[in-house]
Formats: sequence, C-alpha cells, structure tokens
Amino acid sequence: MGIYSSSLIQARMSGRYLKDRLALYLLFLAAVVAFSAIVLLLPYETVYVSERSYLELFLAVVIACVAVFVLGTMYNMLVWMSGKGLHGSPEGRLLRLLPRAFRFLVRGRLWKATAVFAKDALYLSKLKERSASRWSMHLLILGGFISMFVLDIISTISLDILHYAPMIEEDGWAKLWIRDFGFDFAGTMMLAGLLIAAGRRFVLKPKIVRTELPDAVSLLFLLAVVVGGFVLEGIGIAGGISGHEANHEYSFLGYALSLAMPGSWGAYYDQIWLVHGLMSALLIAYIPFSKLFHMVATPIAIEADRTSPKAVGSP
Amino acid sequence: MRKLDISGLDVLSLMRFDACTRCGECTSTCPTGGEAQDIELVTPRGKILKLKEFCRMQYGLRAKLLGPKDIPEAQLRELASRSYECTICGQCKTVCPAHLDTISMWENMREFLVANGLGPMEAHAQIVKSIENYGNPWMQPRTQRSRWAKRIETEVKTKDVLKEKCEVLYFVGCTAAYDPNIRDMAENTARVLVNAGVDFGTLGNDEGCCGSTLLRTGLQESAKKMVEKNIELFERASPSLIVTSCAGCFKTIKQDYPKMGVVRPKVVHVTQLVNELLDSGRLRLDKRVEGTATFHDPCHLGRHNGLYDEPRRILEAVPGLRLVEMERNRAEARCCGAGGGVKTAFPDLAQKVSALRVEDAERSGADMLVTSCPFCYQSLKAGLEAKPSRVSMHDLMELVSMACSHG
Repeated sequence: MGIYSSSLIQARMSGRYLKDRLALYLLFLAAVVAFSAIVLLLPYETVYVSERSYLELFLAVVIACVAVFVLGTMYNMLVWMSGKGLHGSPEGRLLRLLPRAFRFLVRGRLWKATAVFAKDALYLSKLKERSASRWSMHLLILGGFISMFVLDIISTISLDILHYAPMIEEDGWAKLWIRDFGFDFAGTMMLAGLLIAAGRRFVLKPKIVRTELPDAVSLLFLLAVVVGGFVLEGIGIAGGISGHEANHEYSFLGYALSLAMPGSWGAYYDQIWLVHGLMSALLIAYIPFSKLFHMVATPIAIEADRTSPKAVGSP
Repeated sequence: MRKLDISGLDVLSLMRFDACTRCGECTSTCPTGGEAQDIELVTPRGKILKLKEFCRMQYGLRAKLLGPKDIPEAQLRELASRSYECTICGQCKTVCPAHLDTISMWENMREFLVANGLGPMEAHAQIVKSIENYGNPWMQPRTQRSRWAKRIETEVKTKDVLKEKCEVLYFVGCTAAYDPNIRDMAENTARVLVNAGVDFGTLGNDEGCCGSTLLRTGLQESAKKMVEKNIELFERASPSLIVTSCAGCFKTIKQDYPKMGVVRPKVVHVTQLVNELLDSGRLRLDKRVEGTATFHDPCHLGRHNGLYDEPRRILEAVPGLRLVEMERNRAEARCCGAGGGVKTAFPDLAQKVSALRVEDAERSGADMLVTSCPFCYQSLKAGLEAKPSRVSMHDLMELVSMACSHG
C-alpha cells in the first residue's frame, strides 16, 4: 500500500487525522510563540552591538530559524512515525509519544538517560576504543558546541534576567572567566576539532571518509561560524569596542587575532556582528536538513533502543 | 509513479537512518561491501544513505510542500539487490560509534523490500518454495529428515519426543539433517548427549525448518507459518530444554520465536549445554585429540547472541588440543560469507568472503579450523578445499565426541 493509496487517503481525511494534525501544528505554533516571547522580552542591555536595528534583525532571523529548526525536526520525526510498531496517523503517534517520552524521562529516568547520553553520545565510548584521533575530533567539536550552548544560556540568564554584576562589569570574575575565557575555550575546542575534521576530509582523505556536498557544507558552515566568532572578537578588541576594552588575555584566541588587525576595522564591528549572528542562526535552521541532525537523532535512538522492549533472549 | 510504502519499516529503523553519522566506520570492516567488493552501496552506510534519500524524496518536508519525487525503478532494484549482498553478520553493529542496532535494521529492511515487491532475490525463490513444500531448504523429502539417526541407531538411541517424554529436545536443523557432508554434526551431537547421560529426543520427521532463511530474506509471513507449527510441536513435546547445534536455528528460536508466539522451554545452543555438562562433571573428556585449533565465531552465536566463551572453554577442555586465536576473533570475527541468503543468491561473493576467513585461519598457525554452525562449516570447508589448505575443517561436537571416553 503506497502513501497515496485510496484507503490511506480516506484514513487521512478522517476527523481524527485532521484533529491530530491541527493539534500538532498548534503545539508547534505554541512552541514558536513561547520562544519568540522569551527572545523579544529580554532587554539585551549588555549586548556588544551598538546598532539597535541590527539586533532586531538578528532576533527576527533567530526566531524564524528556530521555527524552521522545530518544523524540520518535527517533519523528520513524522517520517519516523510513519513506520510500523505504533497505531494511528504519524501526527497522532507523535502527539501521543511526546508527553509519554517526557513523563518517561522525568519519572526517574532522567539521570539514567543523561548518563547514557554522556557515555555513548557525548563521550563516544565505542569510538575511543577504535580511533583515538577521530574520538578526540568528535569530542572537541561536540564538547565545544555543547559548552557554547550552555555558556550562552548562563550568560543570557545572568545578564538579561538576573543582571548579575560580576557578569557585566569589565573586571568581574564571571565576565572574565565565563564570557571571555569560557567562550574562547569552547570555541577553541570546536575550532581544533573542526580543523582535524577538515584535514581528514579534504587533505588526508582516508578511504572510509565519503565527502559529498552535505558533508562539506556542514563542516564549512560550522567552521565559518566558529572562525567568524573569533574574527569578530579580534575586531572588537583591536577596535576597542565596549566590552572588549581590558583584560584581553582572557579572550586568548580573539586577542591573538586582534594583534594582526588594524584598529580601524572596529568601524565594521556591527556589520560583522550581524553577519556572524545571522550565520549562527542559519546554522540552527540547517540542522534538521543536514547530517548534523544526528546530534538530535543519535541520542534519541540510543535511548529508544535501550528502553524499547526486547524479545526474550536478545543479548 | 511508484510510491514506496515505508509502513513496514520499524519506527526505530527510520530513527536510526537519521542517527547514522556517515562516519564510515562500518564500511572498512563490512565483509561483503568493504572487504570483498569495495562497493559503497553494499556497506551499511551506503544502504542507509540511499534508503534515507528515497524516504525523504517521498516523505520529507520538501515532499510535503512540493509533492513526492519519483524514484527511478533501476535505482530501487539496485538498492534491493545490493542489500541482499549483506550477510547480516552484525560486524557493523560491533563497530558503529552511534550504537545502531544494525542487525535488526537489515532484517527489517528486507521485510520492507519484500513488502514493496523488491525482494527477495530470484535465487531465493527455489529455497522458499522448498521450505514451504518440504519443510526444508534442500528440496529433500520430509521422510529423510531423521535418516542420520538411523545411521547411528546401534550406538545411540534417539527418542521421538512426540511419542516419549524427554527432558531435552534436540532441534537438529535442516542442514545437519540433510546435507550428507554435515550429517556428522547431528550424529556427534547425539553421541555427546548420550555420553553425558542426557535424556534427549528429537522431533524426528515432524521437525520443520526453523524459518531462519525466510526471516533473514524478509519473508516474515511465510516464516510465521513455520514458526507456529514448530511452537505447536514444542508444546506437544513439552521438554524443559531445547538444544540446537545450528547457530542459525538457535538465534531464530531464541530471539525470533518469542516475537511470534510463546516458547516455554529454555532454549540453549549445544555449546552452552556441553559447557554446563563439563562444569558439572556429567561429561568427561579423557581422550587426547592432538592438534592446534582455532575457533571461528558464527555470527548468529557471537555477535547476535554474545556467546564467545562457551566454545572456547570446551576446546580448552579437550586434552591435547591447543587453542589459538585468529587475529579477528569474538565480536570482531570475520563472517564466513554464507549468511543472510548470500550463499544462495551470490555464491561467488560468499566464496570471496570465506577465502578471507580461511586466510585468517591459516595465519593463526592452527591446523584445525573449528566452528559450531553448519552453515559456517559448509562455507569454510568449501573455502579450504578451494585453496587447497593445510588447515582441516571441524565441527566442535566432532572434537568433543572424539575426546569423550566412549571413543
């Protein structure tokens, strides 16, 4: 039976199917609205960019990109839900599964799931045994990415909600160690991992590596965002932009780059900030349509495999 | 336009397509795709990416917005054919950094191919017909199934569990029962069980194919009939233990049967039972068997069921025998090339893979290549004879029987 067979169309046109579909889109809309509300309500008083319209454009693109990310992820999950093993339309299955998965996790499974995620998806225990270089490469990229994400959340909460002074003041401990050193460290991790990946993929070309457009785009996209971040920081330091005026050594890599940059480049800081911001947002939107989606799918698959009922006798 | 029906693919399989990181770890160690042929589409990554691409073409976001795309029939046929070149050995599961359960993926993929009229291969048709008509894949009459037992009836009395109550049901399997080159496997297993004083019997001519071939080629519905019939016989015989000497039957009865029915007796492979008999002292190995042996882990016993120690402990218990390991052993063991219907549909490919394993055995310095699966035995023996090699092929129960005090 194909997807467009008459019997299925009939089923899809049924009231239940339309109700499920509507409910799923309402859920998607609610998630996007909730995210937009959070993004738009934050004051952004300490943001480095001075041009307010650039900030507003960036925020609008972030909201749109996150919406695309959620929609893409939802459609990928609907493809999963088209398989056998569950009842009802894919939309209905996903709707029923989301709260169940949430309850499953919060009812004492969260720590176990986190431990499995840390060991099998983040630490990649299996890859470590097979190839130390590839294991380091992946750990650097993913570790840097996750650290960056966590640091972003910490910074946003402490700056825009708590107005935590040590995070704002030029010589505050949190500003130096989290905003300056922390981000540089996470970025350096990612950069090192990405350079190893690029070297393997484009220079060494081991036989197992298959480079097609999606592989190259994903890698170059990530590299452009990370390198762009350091270039932006370098320009900020070189140009003496607000927030980059002192204690440069904490932003070690950005500072190193700034030494090669003329101070006049500071005049383009806002424009480069916008380009970097837009690229970061577009990267988020690109994830569900690229190989990077394994960041979402692999931990879910590992957890689903671990917790799904096995036949008696399975090893 | 041909519309692919993906409703036969497991939710978990579809999830795993997205979870594949494209790293390629599976490509170099894949026995048929990477080592024997070097064809990307045969490798796990190749199959995953191609099938994922097809699914996206008709079910992804772009398909929802702009309509599904047509998939050229030739490409579909090529994917199907290449997918059947996989022995489902599970080496990819061992090496996958994303922990994908590729074994169930490939079995499910074949089910999907059959549902879409793309599988099994033409060469499998004869075997399927034979299983459906004769209850075995070898086109042999049912009445000949227990012929092996008659050959040894003067030394071993094999009971019929449907007529006499027995503690243990020995599920012989089609290959050991019918293939004249492997019949020794059934005979030696029976000898060992008698020597240990095990109260055992068989289903005689009523035993049907376990359904492994059908399940591995994606014919779930046909297999279900065989499975239900065998389960009914298990119920009638009601033994406390079912023992198999075939690794394929073992996997099928232990892992697949419970998905389709209730198997009350405990199911073990003969290596597990013999290991227990040796531990408990019920079986004693007194006679020396001189030689250096290396053990080939059957995929269905090792990677599919995690049984690695039992056969090795048995070999170590044989007086005079020295056990050496091949460079690739246990979870990393190279496949013999016969499984997953490959030997039937692609005999040349199976031979290429078995030749690689034979080379492994020769490099180990062993003079005996031992295994515990009739299919591996067939394939590796052919590989040794094709060379020809100084290494000789043995079934594990043959060596145990030689070492038993009965002589």
